[in-house]
Amino acid sequence: MLFPTLAFGVFFLFVYFTAWSLDRENGRRKLFLLLASWFFYAQWDWRFVGLLILSAVLNWGVAALIARSPADRRGWLVGLGVAANLLILGFFKYYGFFVEQLSELLSRFGWERDLPLLQIVLPVGISFFTFQGISYVVDVHRGKTPAARSLLDVMLLMSFFPHLVAGPIVRASDLLPQFDRVPRLTREMATHGLLLIVWGLFKKTIVASELATRLVDPVFFDPSAYSSIDIAAAVYGYAVQIYCDFSAYSDMAIGIAALLGYAFPRNFDQPYRASSMQSFWRRWHISLSSWLRDYLYVPLGGGRNGLFASCVNVMITMLLGGLWHGAAWTFVAWGALHGGAQVIERLGRAALGDRKIIPTVVGVLITFHIVCLGWILFRAETFGLAVAMLQGLGRMGPVMMLTPFLLTLIIGGLAMHWLPPRAVESLTLKLKPAPSITMGVLIGLAILLISAVRPDGVAPFIYFQF
Amino acid sequence: MSDPNDDDVHDPHGAPVDPFPTAFPPPPVSLFPPVLGVETEGRRMTSDPIPPSPGDPPSDWDQGADAHDLLPVGDPGPDHALIALGRFAFPPGPPLDDEGLGARDRRWTSRIIVFATLFLLIFNAASIQNWSRQQPPGWGTETVRRLSDVWAEQIAQTGADRPRQMVHDAWRDWRDMRFQGAEPPVN
Repeated sequence: MLFPTLAFGVFFLFVYFTAWSLDRENGRRKLFLLLASWFFYAQWDWRFVGLLILSAVLNWGVAALIARSPADRRGWLVGLGVAANLLILGFFKYYGFFVEQLSELLSRFGWERDLPLLQIVLPVGISFFTFQGISYVVDVHRGKTPAARSLLDVMLLMSFFPHLVAGPIVRASDLLPQFDRVPRLTREMATHGLLLIVWGLFKKTIVASELATRLVDPVFFDPSAYSSIDIAAAVYGYAVQIYCDFSAYSDMAIGIAALLGYAFPRNFDQPYRASSMQSFWRRWHISLSSWLRDYLYVPLGGGRNGLFASCVNVMITMLLGGLWHGAAWTFVAWGALHGGAQVIERLGRAALGDRKIIPTVVGVLITFHIVCLGWILFRAETFGLAVAMLQGLGRMGPVMMLTPFLLTLIIGGLAMHWLPPRAVESLTLKLKPAPSITMGVLIGLAILLISAVRPDGVAPFIYFQF
Repeated sequence: MSDPNDDDVHDPHGAPVDPFPTAFPPPPVSLFPPVLGVETEGRRMTSDPIPPSPGDPPSDWDQGADAHDLLPVGDPGPDHALIALGRFAFPPGPPLDDEGLGARDRRWTSRIIVFATLFLLIFNAASIQNWSRQQPPGWGTETVRRLSDVWAEQIAQTGADRPRQMVHDAWRDWRDMRFQGAEPPVN
């Protein structure tokens, strides 16, 4: 069940009205939201609801033990909790990949073995809910958040349907306190939520979908058939597509949660206006980059042990961040590119200090093109296709795929980054005083326009596969 | 006319109260007894709001937000006599507490959702029809498909489907435009 579908709309209407009708019974309300979340998840594969429950029970149990244990035993328990989460993630997501690599390695040494390859279906959103589980256990260990009062809270924390399949990664310290009592829906939250939903619908169903089907997918499928202009357009188009696709999901998730009374953290902040790679990662998938910082980079030592160690830590973090996105070497290479660029930036800062040696505009252009280079690795299914895309950038020929419409979408998708930084929030303040009928007609009109021009059907969100 | 410096003949806003006789106490700003949030001080009405006590929950309410049901705070000036009479006859209830504010905002949001849904049911009937045709066959989807077909047909007779169709046609024309000299795509 995808957000921009009528089926989800009907589901959400039912959840919205039922949840608010239970506003005097927080326990029942949470139970209802949990059951609704499981129903939502079961639309992909009902068997994985069991995995979700298992993961929640595991994290709840470990966190409860940590809270009740003496300090000297907590280290073991947190290690056990993190390892169990990683085991679940590793089995479902990386088992096939590592067995394949091992098999290839053994064959190079002349040991041909039939290793047990399993046809494992990847549960949707597993990377997100296991990361959430890890952050909960570690935060309880660090004393950043108390252990949840009930299993129900942890189950809802990990299963809450707005963020379940593609984030944002909402931490226990953000969400558990909100579960303590029935939330209050304010006009700001409602208006902001509705605007984010409409904005997300526009980005996903029009910009991302049209670019994917009419430009990016055909060109990345066979780059040798296209000229440099089409290939460059496909690369820029993919940069816009992935931003509009993923940020749309986050916007809709934040908006849907807001209508149910819960606040999620911001996940994107105009990433393509970043003038350095470090700044890019403060703006792109913020919930993941801050997760990697707090639960990987800092425990590795962060920047505490000198420049060299901090560069090594950045590289490790970005390589594992790349692998988190998918079990393929292209993702590892993508992580290496981002890590390498950040290491160069660090070395540059260490050598030159904070002196500004290039203008901001040039920094933005360089950063954007490094990111686009990374997107080629990210999108191409093999290194061969990635190299073919790069080679195609020098091939002259007729324009076949790029049209005025697609060019407008690409320019529009990039221009979004130069809107005022809090444009939706500003619009929220302007629209908040409007009478409900005016707002209802405006929202209806916006959805009507989007619906009139969107292509039939909706492709799954890119980040579902992660 | 009376002396303009005479407090008895001018209300705090400077509006002359003549030709009412000055021998009597001047009328208050409002013709009727005070409503909530307005206190009397001697003979004069003051319209300062009751300051919130420190224990009050913080409110994110924007004073200018609602045209329907919020008491204006501050000095709104003298009311029209009929409005004042209405307030006198039907005094507003006590200020909403946090729960009351929350309930009011939920009602507002729910009304938006209902209005938007009704708007879309009328002007976007084709979407329901398209969606129902994409669903796998079954008793439920078949029922929805038939209902949506009838609904879309009825709506089309009123012409409510035209705006959507016009936008769709214009969009399709723009989408299919090509650069001059561009070759058709390889399929």
